[in-house]
Amino acid sequence: MSELAYESPLAGAAAADGLAVSLREIPDRGMIDLRGLTSDDAFKAAAKGVLGVGLPTAPRTSVSWGDIKVLWLSVDQWLILCPRTKVHALIADLRGALSGIHSLAVDVSDMRAVIRMEGDGAREILMKGTSLDLLSGDYTAGTCRRMRFAEIAALLHVVEDDIFDVYVFRSYAHYTWDFLLATAREPAAIRLFGKQSVSL
Amino acid sequence: MLIVTCPVCGAEGDETDFHAAGQAHVRRPATTDPSNITDEEQRDYLFIRHNPKGLHFERWRCDRGCGKWFHAARDTVTMEFKAFYKITDLPPPELMAQAKGSWAEYFASRNQPEIKA
Repeated sequence: MSELAYESPLAGAAAADGLAVSLREIPDRGMIDLRGLTSDDAFKAAAKGVLGVGLPTAPRTSVSWGDIKVLWLSVDQWLILCPRTKVHALIADLRGALSGIHSLAVDVSDMRAVIRMEGDGAREILMKGTSLDLLSGDYTAGTCRRMRFAEIAALLHVVEDDIFDVYVFRSYAHYTWDFLLATAREPAAIRLFGKQSVSL
Repeated sequence: MLIVTCPVCGAEGDETDFHAAGQAHVRRPATTDPSNITDEEQRDYLFIRHNPKGLHFERWRCDRGCGKWFHAARDTVTMEFKAFYKITDLPPPELMAQAKGSWAEYFASRNQPEIKA
């Protein structure tokens, strides 16, 4: 019988060379999908007790506490990020605290691939694949939102001003990686809204 | 390109970030009277839809946002959105008053609020 072994979604992907920004996979991120009703005070209190921080209720925001980050996905859905080694303990704590409360906590660490993009010009590169105006000032550090990126579903998390995590479903990992390799090539860099240097 | 605003999470985006899902406020006859449905009523429920020139009411989903369903009132001539409102709600009263033809008949026939999920 074969041994179960973890393999990251982008194992064996082409190297990120010659790009205008740095691009790498984050393979060791633990993710927990949490669902519940914000109208239920017991649910919010139980989640806060385990996570150490209240669930973000404003759309497209996130909070962090220690090595835990909580991203707002919907009015009744959050994605909890933590080190992969902590997932089992955290989920056990959550389920314990939430027992009897209408809610759901599931380990989805292997559901999505995480690609980190870092560097000046990353916003323009991401905008090649999405209709969002990432230069508008709405996308400050901590913002997260689901988006249509390169025609597929993705989740964008603005970690810092020039650092972005793009979450895509695992089966789209190579597609997204190849899309970013093509659009982030050094010669393909663009500057938008008056910042272009056009040489004719 | 249509610019849509989700009434649930406030996300604004073009129509590719959302999903249009046809006519709103379709009433399932079997909900109120499951034992006494004619073939014609069931046919109308499944297949017959309004196709107005002008004000129309539709279901949309915030597909690339919060994932929730909502309603929209749209003018099919100018493509202008008149209102976005929650999936359990009826349109704003002034829009129901403006509705013509089959929609006006429909709103006149409704004397009770939408069944809450």
